Amino acid sequence: MKRANIVALVAVAGIVLALFFLGTGGAQRIQSMALGIISPFLRSGSGLEKKVTAIRQGLKSLAELEREAEQLRVRNKELEAVNTTLRDLESENNRLRRALQYREREIFRLIPAQIIARDASTWWNTVKIDRGSDDGIASEMPVLTETGLVGKVTTVSASSAIVVLISDENCKVAARVEGTREQGIVSGQRDSGAGMPQVGMWVRSKLAKLEPGQKVYSSGVGGVYPSGLLIGTIRDFKVRELDAYATLNPAVELTTLEDVFVVTGKK
Amino acid sequence: MTAFLPALIFVCFLSVVAGHFIPPLPIMEGARVLLMPVVFFFGALALPFWGMLVLATFCGLLWDAMTLQVITPMIGETAMMKTVEIIPGWSIILYAVLGSVMNGFQPLYLRGRWEIHTLMSGIFTALIVLAEFLLISVRRAAFYEDAAFLFNASIGWRILGAGIVALILAPFVYWALSVLAGLVGYDAAEVLRREEES
Repeated sequence: MKRANIVALVAVAGIVLALFFLGTGGAQRIQSMALGIISPFLRSGSGLEKKVTAIRQGLKSLAELEREAEQLRVRNKELEAVNTTLRDLESENNRLRRALQYREREIFRLIPAQIIARDASTWWNTVKIDRGSDDGIASEMPVLTETGLVGKVTTVSASSAIVVLISDENCKVAARVEGTREQGIVSGQRDSGAGMPQVGMWVRSKLAKLEPGQKVYSSGVGGVYPSGLLIGTIRDFKVRELDAYATLNPAVELTTLEDVFVVTGKK
Repeated sequence: MTAFLPALIFVCFLSVVAGHFIPPLPIMEGARVLLMPVVFFFGALALPFWGMLVLATFCGLLWDAMTLQVITPMIGETAMMKTVEIIPGWSIILYAVLGSVMNGFQPLYLRGRWEIHTLMSGIFTALIVLAEFLLISVRRAAFYEDAAFLFNASIGWRILGAGIVALILAPFVYWALSVLAGLVGYDAAEVLRREEES
């Protein structure tokens, strides 16, 4: 065997061994570095993709844009009014909860983020967002939209982060079913096809009686996800030998998701 | 050689970036278009053995970094200590092993034959996806009490589909990379002859 080949083999073996003994923190640092290098390219690609989509959808006329702006102005005013009412109700609710010695409801600080890329691999369901540690994002922060839970942040670089979606088998969320005392764990399914991502809930009690259409919320157990976030609705429910299993329709359309919010802390 | 290896490394990097914008294929149950393995297998053919190892290290490390999953295994509702699902480095071994087999078919490539190599690109790409699937199945069975070994038509299609797509893409990728080799003045036959003599 030639000298150059032997040197290369020894060097590769050394690199592999060093990687095997890195540990979780070291591996995450490597991922963060790689993410830092690749994210400017992903941002450019995402921008280009959006421009192409915009061109494909056709340019809007000035009159259309004016009409759309007017509709948005009206909608904004409506939402402001609803928001003010809800703030009043919230403070009243908290006052009453205090009077009853209940814990006050938490209000979360949200950072908006855009999805710049989706996972290129076959078996994992993750997305990359355009916010990172410079924006106050850290790992384990929950990610949501106005309609429900999306997932949580796993790895962060300075200007981007990786979010594991609830449709991934590795994303486990402690959950409860509305109107019942049933609790369980929600996670994605490995054999999800190309269509709607499959999300299921492992229910502890085989005596549970759940119906299609019932809503599933995060229970807050475990501390990562706040309680009360909508995860999805039950599509199908099966009692098994030792437990029960419900298949869910996710509340968020995970395949076309573009904008999300990262929960960075409490207000 | 001096310019071709860095050029191939850059093309591998770009192919990973491009992969993020190519959606899964619905007709193949969500199989992915994996460009980087096809580029790597061309490199394994055109480069000397040590060059293939350098490329395998880059591709394996980049892929592991992009797909690394840091997870918190749960026993019931109790979260255990954070861990990595698949340790980075395993893809380097996989790429190096498959690349070595491809490298062994170099004489045929130097005689101007591509058919067997494009077929092998498809088979090896499917093998990479299968190896990933087996690894996560073994790891998840150890992590989660409710995890089981699953294999159904959807999973089969995603493994096979990645290979079929690679097989279709390989001739075009090989042709484009041959043009690139010409542009940077890389002559595989000449380089390998000099390697033999040294």
